[in-house]
Amino acid sequence: MIDVLIIGGGIAGIQAACSLQDLGLETVIVEKEKTIGGHLNDWDTLFPTFRSASEVIDYYTEETRKRALTIYLNTNVISIKKVDEGVFEVQTSRDVLFRSKSVVLASGYQLFNAERKEEYGYKIYDNVLTSADLEKKFRRLNGQPFKTPTDKTPKRIGFIHCVGSRDEKSGNHYCSKLCCVTAVKQAIHMKQVCPEADVFCCYMDLRMYGPGFEEMYREAQEKYHVQFIRGRLSEVSENSDGTLQLKVEDTLAARPCRIQADMLVLMVGMEASKNTALFKQSCNLECASNRFVKPNDHHIGSNQTNVPGLFTAGTSIGPMSVFDTVNHAKSVAFAVNEYLKNSEL
Amino acid sequence: MDYVAELEKDVRFQEALHSCLNCGVCSAICPAAEFYNYDPRMIVTTVQRRNNEEIEQLLKSNTIWYCGQCMSCKTRCPRGNTAGMIIQALRLLSQKCGFFTESEKGRQQYGLKKTIGESILKYGYCVHPILVKPELHPEQGVIWEWVHKNMDAVYDRLGANLYKDGAGAMRKIHQKNLDELAEIFKVTGGEDFYDLIEKESQKKAEEMNMSTAEDNNEYLMHVLTYNSNEHQE
Repeated sequence: MIDVLIIGGGIAGIQAACSLQDLGLETVIVEKEKTIGGHLNDWDTLFPTFRSASEVIDYYTEETRKRALTIYLNTNVISIKKVDEGVFEVQTSRDVLFRSKSVVLASGYQLFNAERKEEYGYKIYDNVLTSADLEKKFRRLNGQPFKTPTDKTPKRIGFIHCVGSRDEKSGNHYCSKLCCVTAVKQAIHMKQVCPEADVFCCYMDLRMYGPGFEEMYREAQEKYHVQFIRGRLSEVSENSDGTLQLKVEDTLAARPCRIQADMLVLMVGMEASKNTALFKQSCNLECASNRFVKPNDHHIGSNQTNVPGLFTAGTSIGPMSVFDTVNHAKSVAFAVNEYLKNSEL
Repeated sequence: MDYVAELEKDVRFQEALHSCLNCGVCSAICPAAEFYNYDPRMIVTTVQRRNNEEIEQLLKSNTIWYCGQCMSCKTRCPRGNTAGMIIQALRLLSQKCGFFTESEKGRQQYGLKKTIGESILKYGYCVHPILVKPELHPEQGVIWEWVHKNMDAVYDRLGANLYKDGAGAMRKIHQKNLDELAEIFKVTGGEDFYDLIEKESQKKAEEMNMSTAEDNNEYLMHVLTYNSNEHQE
């Protein structure tokens, strides 16, 4: 029987495995994709330093190799069952039943599907992208000039905050907290690749909560002249030339406006991954009203769940930055260690 | 009067105001905001402040009468508020308090009561060709003037049964149905509501030195045709 089964081979899962190994525990990671690293694989650079995301993945790939971590790739978890004596039985798509003393859910999040916000025109108008699409575009750029999806050099680019966040209409009342700083980062990046373009952000509140975030916002304004318009986008339509027309109120001026743009970037929020609901069903795991796993104690036990022996690392409990995810994954090692020390298994 | 308490009794107000985060999607989509100097978000934040004096000002202002009740705001609000429904509650309170006569747009309530409001009881139609009088609708132009003058022949030719007994488009509504409609208005408070609009408007007409006589209703003509042209500034 293994000590800890870790579900998810993103940075949370790998970091948790590293820290657990340091404490002398045996781990197995199951990952549904064919590589480790999760969403980070799709990202170009990380706030607030513009460090390349692949550097972080390279670090964890190297750790995985050095430490000889056991990882099952291309493996989906079908169910997690806690059997009588407190042992977890985890059924996977590989027809392997894992038996473990504890489980760490490092199964992450999924991005909001912007098509659900139909009035924003994603997948209807060519020049509407999501923040994730833009990262992929940046990754592929390799020093080439930046072009819109309709192959034009953009003169006006808008970033739309809170897409699928703080919005009852999308079923997500919570704040995804990272989209604000991501928008600021991407707006700066946009100005770097298209210095001639006007770049603006439509926001409701700017949540620059982390170290270096506010400084970055200031730099975006002072050095890059990114405009910040306080108003939530109401509707987008397409002009005959493929450019876009935005309806938004400049709430600080109390005037409804129509803004023209060549390209629009929707800052999609983070949602609980579909698998979270699946795990919830199979082992009576308690989730919060935002559908993420509910921490057993918000302040001093955020790695614990309502099921003893079942722990969380990273964004399975809510939106988190890379920085927060890594720390949360480190702390889960101590929580698991303490649990196993006191367990009869 | 405690206007906040009054508003809170209105089920539409209870349903329509949760909490506003001032994002502006309602104003950005609002057709009236595009046309008038008007911002539905500001109405919501004003009532959200629960300041009695500010609400009284609102009840006496043109502001609450600009909304066209299209309810586009309802489709967008990320907090599930409905500015248009808050406005319904404010309008009713403004009518109840007699504050509607304090503003140009509010005074038009009298015009609505006199035209659509009375027509439905008298004819069974809110709007019927015989009621669209050219002098009240200059925007209809000379063609309508001509149609109105030759109404029987025109509508006959078009196959209607204009205000006559029997079946067909624009027929006369039977007295039995009209009585029933009047009864509904009585039981549901519609009649009292009309009386209230009438009473408050009479008061205002006197104050403005205008006649409301059946054959020379200066006040009615005033509310229907006057435009200060101050609504877009």
